[in-house]
Amino acid sequence: MAQVEQEIQIPVANPQDPYALPAAMPSSADKSPRSFSVDDFAVPDRKQDDWRFTPVERLEEFYHVFTPSGKTTVEVSMIDGTAVPADLISLYQTKLSEDSATVGKPNDRVSAVEWNSGTTSTVLEVAGEIDKPILVAVHGAGMQLDAFHLVIKAADRAHADVVVEHDGPALLAEGVEIITGKDSHVSTTFIQEWDEGSKMVGNHRIRVGEGATLRHSVVTLGGDVVRLRMDQDFGGAQSDVLMLGIYFVDPGEHIEHRTMVVHNHPECKSRVIYKGALDGKDAHATWVGNALIEPTAPGTDSYELNRNLVLTPGAVADSEPNLEIENGNIVGAGHASSVGRFDDEELFYLQSRGIGEVEARKLVVRGFFAELIDQIGIPAIADHLMTAINRRLARTEAVAGK
Amino acid sequence: MSTLEIKDLYASVETKEGRKQILKGVNLTVDSGETHAIMGPNGSGKSTLAYTLAGHPKYEVDSGQALLDGQDILTMTPDERAKAGLFLAMQYPVEVPGVSMTNFLRTAKTEVDGEAPQIRQWVKDLSEAMTRLKMDPKFAQRSVNEGFSGGEKKRAEVLQLELLKPKFAVLDETDSGLDVDALRIVSEGVNRAKDNTGMGILMVTHYTRILKYIKPDIVHVFADGHFVRTGGPELADELEEHGYDQYLPQGAESESALA
Repeated sequence: MAQVEQEIQIPVANPQDPYALPAAMPSSADKSPRSFSVDDFAVPDRKQDDWRFTPVERLEEFYHVFTPSGKTTVEVSMIDGTAVPADLISLYQTKLSEDSATVGKPNDRVSAVEWNSGTTSTVLEVAGEIDKPILVAVHGAGMQLDAFHLVIKAADRAHADVVVEHDGPALLAEGVEIITGKDSHVSTTFIQEWDEGSKMVGNHRIRVGEGATLRHSVVTLGGDVVRLRMDQDFGGAQSDVLMLGIYFVDPGEHIEHRTMVVHNHPECKSRVIYKGALDGKDAHATWVGNALIEPTAPGTDSYELNRNLVLTPGAVADSEPNLEIENGNIVGAGHASSVGRFDDEELFYLQSRGIGEVEARKLVVRGFFAELIDQIGIPAIADHLMTAINRRLARTEAVAGK
Repeated sequence: MSTLEIKDLYASVETKEGRKQILKGVNLTVDSGETHAIMGPNGSGKSTLAYTLAGHPKYEVDSGQALLDGQDILTMTPDERAKAGLFLAMQYPVEVPGVSMTNFLRTAKTEVDGEAPQIRQWVKDLSEAMTRLKMDPKFAQRSVNEGFSGGEKKRAEVLQLELLKPKFAVLDETDSGLDVDALRIVSEGVNRAKDNTGMGILMVTHYTRILKYIKPDIVHVFADGHFVRTGGPELADELEEHGYDQYLPQGAESESALA
């Protein structure tokens, strides 16, 4: 792995404001390479910190540049099926090159492979007030390797909601860049509802504009191995990001989400909330939540939380929050993480009101997710997600009932 | 007319120190329309009796029966007991995040009745019951018991009691943690439910305060896992005056005296 040697500048403490002194040590972000070149990243193995929870041998096809099948299809419409208004939304394809990079360079081996394997980038630009969510439907094209790159750009003061759905069978490397303008209010929701046996590696690079709000949600409900990494930073002060995640893991599946929130501007707020349910033997979920508060980000308010509900024995959940705080002048930096079973008291309470055990469990699981979906705060999207989750739970319940 | 007949009930709980028998030969018969007050010192097993009847998994029945119109409910799952007509108003109602009160109440009503309630009638019944209990309509949209104050939780229990219309209700220290106004509102709810359905009530309580509002027909003293004395309403006054000391085992210190 290429390492850039950097001399560390040790700052002189200001006696008037001793806590303004940044930590005189290199942060993890300083050490991580960012590069368009695949060779700048080692082939993943479990000795590397970023890959130690991942079954690396099951993602081998994504470690070397490949010729994409190009068969993945994309349809864009409004969520109610109507056509997108051409005055506010523009959609085009562009060649994938270093000049087209919107947010930043790839940050690991698989994202560099995606960048170098793909040829085109699908760009969605939004401006003004868009009253209905935009739906980007990505359909997998079978078990041939493919790469897909999506860029979402929101103009200054834009109000828009974008839902990106994935379904079908797929072996997909996906890159997503999201950049939002000054004072914009944007939500992006990514749903992974892949067919059995599908694999996906995804990399989101996100920059939230000055004074802007971004609600970024990830809902992963199916796939043999799905590994998504979300790196986010701010384009200016007083921005607000909410990153929500929901996942459901079946026996033998590995579903991994890694969030990296970088506070690089003053007075920004971040919330990362990921919740998942795991069902059955060798269902494996991984959540790693990194938060980095840089010396340039006084007044930061950050919090991250991960909860795992183990429905049946034999599942494994890794839950690891990492905080790196290089600024003493912050509002808050907290984290919480848990892995638990059904709460017997909750089940008894529901049962004591006449609700049978099976039905009571259904209510508790739906409640576990509904609590999070409520926080999205956009009814059209909340309904859409709850429908997807109900569909997913009904599948598991049907199997359990056999 | 229904009867709940508890016959020679023994039950235990698993503790860190091993299995401990709490109920030691409980015998009681309650008929529809009767209100029984079950009083006794802390730790005597009153709440264990309530939870054992409702089927909490923590308590294990060693022997005995609880016959509701001849059917032993102790062999049933908790939901079957509720469908048979038993209701437990809990001292500490449980929070169920993400499940709205409306969804929960409608599901429970559907299960207990065996059919979904007529939607118009249901909405009307729910809204009227909430108004009578002076509950904010917004409660219906909130998650079950989540963020409710102690008093709000007890009102929500009585709301369920009114809507589910059981044959027998066990009230486990429903008066605890209530101020005078809330105690009156909650008691009125219980009395209204009884007037409407003619249910029988087993009221587990520590204090005589609630008996001013919900008049018992029969008062029992419960100590060391079984009933030790039974009398009329005047027994409650006697307990108020003299406490439970005489019912405690020799040498035991009364917790209530210490408190």
